[in-house]
Amino acid sequence: MTLIDHLHLREPYDAILAKVVPRHRSSIWYYMGGLALFLFCLQIVTGVLLLFYYQPTPEAAHQSVEMLIAKAPFGGVIRSLHSWSANALIAVVFLHMFSTFFMKSYRSPRQIVWLTGIVLLLLMLGFCFTGYLLPWDSTAYFATRIGTEIPKAIPFFGDAISGLLRGSKNVTGATLTRLFGLHVAVLPLIAVLVVAAHVTMTALLGSAMPPGTVAKGKTRFIPQYVLGESIVWLIGFALLLIVAVLHPWELGPAYDLTKPTEPPAGVHPEWYFMFLYQSLKYIPEWAAVVFYTLVFIFWTLVPWLDRRAGTNRKSPLFTWCGIAAILGMIALTTLAYISVADEQAKAEKTVESP
Amino acid sequence: MFEHLPTKRRNILRWLLAGGITAFIAPFAYAIGKFLAFQGAFAGSKTAKLSAAELTPDSPSKLVEIEGEPVIVVREGDNSIRAFTATCTHLGCIVSFKPQIPGFYCKCHSGKYDVNGVNVPGTRPKSPLTELVVNQQADDLEVSLTPKNSAA
Repeated sequence: MTLIDHLHLREPYDAILAKVVPRHRSSIWYYMGGLALFLFCLQIVTGVLLLFYYQPTPEAAHQSVEMLIAKAPFGGVIRSLHSWSANALIAVVFLHMFSTFFMKSYRSPRQIVWLTGIVLLLLMLGFCFTGYLLPWDSTAYFATRIGTEIPKAIPFFGDAISGLLRGSKNVTGATLTRLFGLHVAVLPLIAVLVVAAHVTMTALLGSAMPPGTVAKGKTRFIPQYVLGESIVWLIGFALLLIVAVLHPWELGPAYDLTKPTEPPAGVHPEWYFMFLYQSLKYIPEWAAVVFYTLVFIFWTLVPWLDRRAGTNRKSPLFTWCGIAAILGMIALTTLAYISVADEQAKAEKTVESP
Repeated sequence: MFEHLPTKRRNILRWLLAGGITAFIAPFAYAIGKFLAFQGAFAGSKTAKLSAAELTPDSPSKLVEIEGEPVIVVREGDNSIRAFTATCTHLGCIVSFKPQIPGFYCKCHSGKYDVNGVNVPGTRPKSPLTELVVNQQADDLEVSLTPKNSAA
């Protein structure tokens, strides 16, 4: 009796060996989910390594990151890899989400896969938000001040949510401890479980094909597909290493809580929050909260709203919704970067001619 | 994976694959190993400074920290001021100075050392404490982790 039989794993083992992936003109997008999984694992490995040297207090945080970059062997690369691959992960997660959206892979019987994916998107953005403060430089400090101020616009619970995130009236050492705890314990625990559910369900249900697409053939999951996927991983990893080594992730000057200062000119969130940031310039906070909550609910419920795709027919209306979402995000993000550049140019002028 | 190939070619391919994966992982394992083996995260102070007046007949010894190491500075019976590593050589507790022995005592397992830091036979420590260099300028004492023997 083999170990597999002994552990009662014969059925899933045979199923994985027999698993096939359909091949068609859009099947290249299937690689995005695997790539996101790889980057998530890379986050765990580099994150655990950083955890061995990082000190989560306002007095020591910045210094410990500086020490890690300057003195610990390969510390700078590991830290850069963590930051860069976090950004790559967000980008890949967006590509993965929109590709499954346009391929209508969310339709029955894969609604739960879509739902867990939505939860993962929120978790990944949560990781970015909570991890951003940890180096305790002034950009991180001000970004977190703003980021924890925005929830106050939520009706009824706003102040409570902001207070829960900050752990004090303002962004202080209490906030650092909280966000650190969320970043290294709470979010990873939930994320690992949801990733496991997301991947297991995908494995069990197999890959969906866009409605009306004809498969050109099938690829065996093991070994052909896994080998193909690993090539994608290796290319992604190589690119990240090159970027991490040649363009180390910046670490601004430490923020001193006892000496409050003005924010740096043109302070703005990371690129993935820029469209939200720009929206706040056009509509009041409460309206933004209402609008994006509605969009989010719509987006989450798409598998149930898109009945045509549910019965394997084309659903151009939803395709157009997706295109509108992408165009809207690109337009707002572009406008946001233009206005940030303007503000920085203005700040430079005032410095030159006071 | 290579079932459709003849046994010999199949084995060569398997070795190449395994070798390739190992060759890929090795440099990363090396980098991570180096990263984890780094011990400079805690620097501590290079030297400890104190005043000879702090060592009185009532409290003739003082524990100080140098580069994270506990060090005991002591005024012995003949009025000489000496410094020893305070880490017990048995299992790493911190020793104290007891004039009544006279010498050093470790609470954890009743380890004893004489006034020269030499472990007392029959007690648990099997090697002596290391004596360190004390630079004395009038009343000012400066101790570093330099062993007295190697400095001499």
